[in-house]
Amino acid sequence: MISFSQQHSIVAFRNGQAYRRPEKPCMYRTRRRGTVVRAVATENLEKSSKIIASATASFPILVNGCTGKMGRSVAESIISSGLTLVPVSFSGKENPGGNITIGDVDVTIHGFKERETVLSSVINQFPDVMVVDYTVPDAVNTNAELYCKLGVPFVMGTTGGDRELLYKTVKSSSVYAVISPQMGKQVVAFLAAMDIMAKQFPGAFSGYHLEVMESHQASKLDTSGTAKSVVSSFQKLGVSYDMKRIRKIRDTMKQLQMVGVPEEYLGSHAFHFYCLISPDDSVSFKFQHNVCGRKIYAEGTVDAAIFLHKKVQRSFLIFYVIYLLI
Amino acid sequence: MLSPTLSGSFCPLPRLNNRRSALFFAQTKRTSLVTSALASEKVTASQDVMAQSPNLSFPILVNGVTGKMGKAVAEAAVSAGLELVPMSFSSVDKPARTLEISDIEINVHGPSEREEILSSVIDKYPDVVVVDYTVPNVVNENAELYCKFGVPFVMGTTGGDRPLLYKTVQDSNVYAVISPQMGKQVVAFLAAMEIMAEQFPGAFSGYKLEVMESHQATKLDTSGTAKAVIACFQKLGAIFDMNEIQMIRDPEEQINMVGVPEEYLSGHAYHVYNLTSPDETVSFEFQHNVCGRSIYAEGSIDAAIFLHKKVLSKAEKKIYDMIDVLREGNMR
Repeated sequence: MISFSQQHSIVAFRNGQAYRRPEKPCMYRTRRRGTVVRAVATENLEKSSKIIASATASFPILVNGCTGKMGRSVAESIISSGLTLVPVSFSGKENPGGNITIGDVDVTIHGFKERETVLSSVINQFPDVMVVDYTVPDAVNTNAELYCKLGVPFVMGTTGGDRELLYKTVKSSSVYAVISPQMGKQVVAFLAAMDIMAKQFPGAFSGYHLEVMESHQASKLDTSGTAKSVVSSFQKLGVSYDMKRIRKIRDTMKQLQMVGVPEEYLGSHAFHFYCLISPDDSVSFKFQHNVCGRKIYAEGTVDAAIFLHKKVQRSFLIFYVIYLLI
Repeated sequence: MLSPTLSGSFCPLPRLNNRRSALFFAQTKRTSLVTSALASEKVTASQDVMAQSPNLSFPILVNGVTGKMGKAVAEAAVSAGLELVPMSFSSVDKPARTLEISDIEINVHGPSEREEILSSVIDKYPDVVVVDYTVPNVVNENAELYCKFGVPFVMGTTGGDRPLLYKTVQDSNVYAVISPQMGKQVVAFLAAMEIMAEQFPGAFSGYKLEVMESHQATKLDTSGTAKAVIACFQKLGAIFDMNEIQMIRDPEEQINMVGVPEEYLSGHAYHVYNLTSPDETVSFEFQHNVCGRSIYAEGSIDAAIFLHKKVLSKAEKKIYDMIDVLREGNMR
C-alpha cells in the first residue's frame, strides 16, 4: 500500500517533529558513457553546494502528450515561466505526422514506435532535459520504463496505470521522479494539512456529522479521489462516514445553479465542499476548494519540474565535488 | 463587503445554502435539515457517552458557577456523567445561597470562606479537579489557592498575569491545563493551519485573502483567533493587511448576511477566510462558526478528563495546554 506521503511527494509530520526522508545513497547513471557512479550525500557536501550559486531557472522540458488538453496547458505554462520547451512530443498514434504550435514553438509530434530513438536523440542534444508526462493510464507503465531505461528524470502527471509497478520500476532504476496524481500544489497542501491534523489529533471531531459534495465535468465518472482522501482524514478525526455518501454532482443545470460553476468551466472544473457539524449543532466547520480549468495543475507541474531539476543539479554537484576530492 | 466567491454568493456561506436547496449545507440552525437528519445519530452518541461514563467519573468543582461559562461547564459535567461537587465560590461575600444546576443544589460561598471550603472539599473528594471560570482579576490568587492545596485545575479564565500564573504552577508542581481557547476543535483547526504554514511556506504565494468575522456586539476588539489564522496564511504567501479584516457587529447584518441564528446574536463566533489565486481560477474557503458556549464547556470537560488521567498515571509533565489534550485523542 503506497503511503500518503509517497503518493503526494511531501514531507510528513511525525511525533511533533518535522520528518524529512533521510538522504539515501543515490545511483546516478551517466547517460553518455553508460557507467554507474555512486554518489553519497553528506552534510559537508550539502554545505558546499551553497557556495556555488544555484543554476539559472531555465532548462529544457519535453512534454509527452502535448496533443492532449493537459499536455498543451503544461506546455504553455512552461513557455510562460521562461523554461525551454523541447519542440518534440509523442502521441499514442502510430503515424500522427505533423506539428502543433504552442506559443511560438513548433512542436513535432512523433508516433509511439519512435519514442525510444527520438527521446535518445533529445537527451543527447539536451543532456539536462526533463520529461513531463500527461498521456493516458494505459501508457503510464511503458512510458515510465522508457524514461528509466534512458535515465531521464520525469514528472508523472498521468493518473492510473499500475501504480505499485510504477514505483517499483522507478526505485529499481534510481531515476529522479516526481509522481503525484494531484498536481494542484495548493490542493495538496490542504490535503496534507488535514492529514497532519488527523494524525496529530485523532478523534478530535468525535461525534461530528460530515457532509461532502463534489462537482466535476460530466465526463468524470468516478468519485473524486481528492474528496475520498479528505474524508479519510476526517474519519481519523473521529467522524463516522461512509464514502458512498459523497454526493457527486454531474448534472450541468445543478452545477450552474446550485454549485455555482461558471458556464465556461462546466467542461473542466473540480469543486469540493465539506461540512462538519457538532452533535448539538452549535458548531460548524466548512471547507471548500474550487478549481476552474487546468491552470493550477499546469503550474503545479512546472513547480514540480523546477523542484526536480534542483534535486538533479545538486546530485551533479555532489558528484562533481567527490570527483574533485578524489 | 466580501467579493463574490467562485460559487457566486456574497455571503460567506456558499450559494447552495439557499434554504430551498435539498443539500445539507444549511446554516447552523436548529430547524435545519441537518438537525433532523442528525436526530437519530445524536441519541446514539449520547448513549455512548453515558455508557462510558462510569469508568471516567470523578468529582469536579466549578469555580464561578454563578457566571454563564461556569454554569455551562457545570451542566456539561453532569451530562458527561461526572460528579459535580455541590460547592462553588463567588466574588462577593453574601449570605449563603444555593444555585440549581441540572437538579443538583450547589452551595455558593463567598471569597473569605474559600480556603476552608476548598480544604473540606479535598478531604471529602480527594481526586477532585477544579475548573476555573471566574474573572481576570482573580486568576492569580485562585491559582495560588489551588497550588497551595495541591489540587489539579483547568484554568478557563482568560487574562490576569499569565507569566506569573505559569510560575506559580511550576513552582508548586501541581497538575494544570491552561488554555485561553477551550474550543478544542477550533484549536485543532488553528494548529492544522500552523502546521501547513510551517511545512509549506509560500505555497499560496500571490493568493489574495479575505477575512470576515462576526461576534456579539459587545466584543469590541478583533478576533484573536482570526489574527492567528491570518498569520498562518501570510506565512503561506497570501497577501493581506490585518486592517482588512471585516468585523461584523451589526445584528441586522449578522442575521441576514452572515446567517447567525437570532438566539445566538449575543454569543457567537463566526469566522470566514477566503483565498483566491492570482488568475481567480482557484479558491479555497475555510469557515469555523460557533454558536453559544457549548464548545468551550465541552472542551473544558475534555481537559478535566485529560488532567484526571494524567494525575492517575502520575505523569511527569504537569502543565498542559489544549494541544496536549488534542494529542491524547478522544476523551470519551
